[in-house]
Amino acid sequence: MFADAREKFPAGSHPANVNGRMFRRSLAIRLVTAGSTNACEQELVALGNSYYDVERFGVCFVASPRHADVLMVTGPVTRNMRDALLKTYEALPTPRIVVALGDDAIDGGLFRGSYAVLDGARSVIPVDYEIPGDPPTPTLIIGALMSILADLSGMQAQKT
Amino acid sequence: MDFFSSSGVFYALIAVFLAGAIGALFLRRKDSAANIWGNSLAATGSLAGLLFAGASLLHGSATAFSLGTSFPLLTLTFRLDRLSAFFMLTVCFVALICSVYAIGYVRHYYGKYSVGVLGFFYNIFIASMILVMTVHNALFFLIVWEVMSLASYFLVIYESRQSANIRAGSFYLIMTHTGTAFIIVSFLLMYKVTGSFDFETIAAGLAGASALMKNAIFLTALIGFGVKAGIIPLHTWLPGAHPAAPSHVSALMSGVMIKTGIYMLMRISLDILTGSYWWGIALLAIGAASSLLGVLYALSEHDLKRLLAYHSIENIGIILLGLGSAVVFSSAGMDTLAVLALAAALFHTLNHATFKALLFLGAGSVIAATHTRNIEKYGGLIRYMPLTALFFLIGAMAISALPPLNGFFSEWLTFQAMFQGVTAFGLTTRIVFILAIGSLAFTGGLAAACFVKAFGITFLARPRSEAIAAAREPSVLSRLAMAGMSAAIIGLGLFSGVVMRLLEGVAGSLGSLRGAAPPGSAQFQSVSIENGFARISMPVVFAGIAVAFIGVMAAVYSFTRKRKTITGPTWDCGTRLTPRMEITATGFSRSIITVMRGVLRPSSETEIEYHDANRYFPKFGTVTMGLRDIYQPFIYRPLRELTAMIARHVRKVQGGNVNAYILYIFLTLIGLLILLDVGS
Repeated sequence: MFADAREKFPAGSHPANVNGRMFRRSLAIRLVTAGSTNACEQELVALGNSYYDVERFGVCFVASPRHADVLMVTGPVTRNMRDALLKTYEALPTPRIVVALGDDAIDGGLFRGSYAVLDGARSVIPVDYEIPGDPPTPTLIIGALMSILADLSGMQAQKT
Repeated sequence: MDFFSSSGVFYALIAVFLAGAIGALFLRRKDSAANIWGNSLAATGSLAGLLFAGASLLHGSATAFSLGTSFPLLTLTFRLDRLSAFFMLTVCFVALICSVYAIGYVRHYYGKYSVGVLGFFYNIFIASMILVMTVHNALFFLIVWEVMSLASYFLVIYESRQSANIRAGSFYLIMTHTGTAFIIVSFLLMYKVTGSFDFETIAAGLAGASALMKNAIFLTALIGFGVKAGIIPLHTWLPGAHPAAPSHVSALMSGVMIKTGIYMLMRISLDILTGSYWWGIALLAIGAASSLLGVLYALSEHDLKRLLAYHSIENIGIILLGLGSAVVFSSAGMDTLAVLALAAALFHTLNHATFKALLFLGAGSVIAATHTRNIEKYGGLIRYMPLTALFFLIGAMAISALPPLNGFFSEWLTFQAMFQGVTAFGLTTRIVFILAIGSLAFTGGLAAACFVKAFGITFLARPRSEAIAAAREPSVLSRLAMAGMSAAIIGLGLFSGVVMRLLEGVAGSLGSLRGAAPPGSAQFQSVSIENGFARISMPVVFAGIAVAFIGVMAAVYSFTRKRKTITGPTWDCGTRLTPRMEITATGFSRSIITVMRGVLRPSSETEIEYHDANRYFPKFGTVTMGLRDIYQPFIYRPLRELTAMIARHVRKVQGGNVNAYILYIFLTLIGLLILLDVGS
């Protein structure tokens, strides 16, 4: 479904010093809800149920940024969440990958231009991948994550 | 060598202490002069004493010399056999280190308390301890014993503006005099049998005494010297008095003064008398109880110096385990094993003196820098006082009996001696030894836990109070003294085989063990117990630990060499980490105290204040944990009430009526006449 993550989910450059073998079998994600409407969260919760079951792909959500490979950001980044997002980003071990999930996180989406938000994660931290949608469906999220994994591993994504 | 062990040197070194004492008093108007004079003369005297005692110890045979006085009963006889020389060596070594430390440490008393008075009592205190270890006459012994008790009393109440110190001092004074009363009874009983106050004559004369008399002498001596040694339940003065004194004095009191009690117990139970079976069992029981309860009380203590004082009780217990085993072996005629057990007790005496003194000096530096003794207020001191932290860690490792330091070796020896007791005796005695071994093992574990707490809460993590940021290392001399003591601890660990051989000689020189063959072989390379029952080689232990340490460091380096290391703050989940979130000393020891609550009877109070009436949202909570004092209500208060009751009844006799008094005199006279008549 997603041939090339770089075409489909363009954002910034390929993360630095990523070794092709690093994320081959697992991807640990730390989610930061930076002022989200909770729509993206609902879809992410669905990833864990028995229908989508994202863990069969080796993708899991972890409780501490120290354990995470990926920082996933939802929401347009409100001013109040700026420091928390920055601190979490700094707490991630390198090499770290940042994924902005949903239109809000990509550029502010509906809330763009509001005095209360900073118009997306990119204004605070470097973003490596973007997954569009308001919110993206669980299938789309899984597919995107697979493409990202494939891209990180330097392999051609399998057709699903 | 002979020059150093001559009587002239001995008198000279006593004179040095007296000059230090009196000179300090004369210089009391100028604090710095009094400090330097008092402490440097104390250091000189201690150094001379160290050489003197060392020469006497190597000399082998006992040296005796006396100073005649015009009193018929009071010829001042000094006799340095190996036991005296060994204890004097210990006193002088610790006193030397403490005096050097004091030159820097006493500075913070300038202008607050009289440094001259401190120098006076300090010198008198050391000199009296040396005399206690060397005099050979019961009357003179009592005099110097009293001088030692009084000098230490005045040192305890030195910081006299704190009423708690005065209270601790008074309690100490009463307890030590109660002990002295028992000692006097013991000596009078000896005099009654032998008609002499000279220890040599007493030892010869007591050989034929009845068992009842010997038991009475031992029991009174055990109580009398037990008070000074701080055995449970006679220890209650110790945790109050030791912390009250200035830290270099605490080091001397905990390190060596309580050993005067041990010295006399050894002298009486194995040199003057011949040990009987139940004495040994009693000493083992007291030793086991003291070591176990001492360390448990230490665990629940949050005052750094009181914690160390409770550890002194624990270590006295360990020494008594060795001494008790020696008495049991000696009563069964197994002199070889008795020498082994006694050597273990002596070794632990020496070791405890070194590491306890070091810990008290370290604690003194911390307290002088932070102005508090509450360890909950410390934290993060390793960044401000790295050297003190290192020395304290060495002391803590030694007292926790971690190899390769000296505490490990002497506890190992004590274990070996008790293992021999298990194999050598029948069922009843075997059970006693097994219980003693169990209590020693448990004590070792708890001591390690306690020092993880003491070191961790004091030196690691983040400061819990603002005073910490102003903490600085103590002066150069103080650091030098602590470094010297640390080197001694490591050295005693490395050369423990050599020291062991020396101590077997000391143990084998005692009256009832004379000529006993040393058990196994003790050499620098290895120590072997009882034909290879157990064997240890401290140089190999040292080498093994060094190789393991270097190996692990090399492995870690080679694996992580290519990795980039980034140092960042601890992940705090977005909250701000504060020192209040650190583990506290109470929290650390709580689980152990809760497990042992049957013995310790802890009192715990929880206070929580709530924001709302339904008690859902607590504003703040406080947990106060303490130990109920079981000795006051169950032992001391009944005793006090009994005394008061007797006193009330006796008061009726003293009615103030002159006629009644004349009647008493008359009755007494008649009574004495009848007694005389019956006697003749």
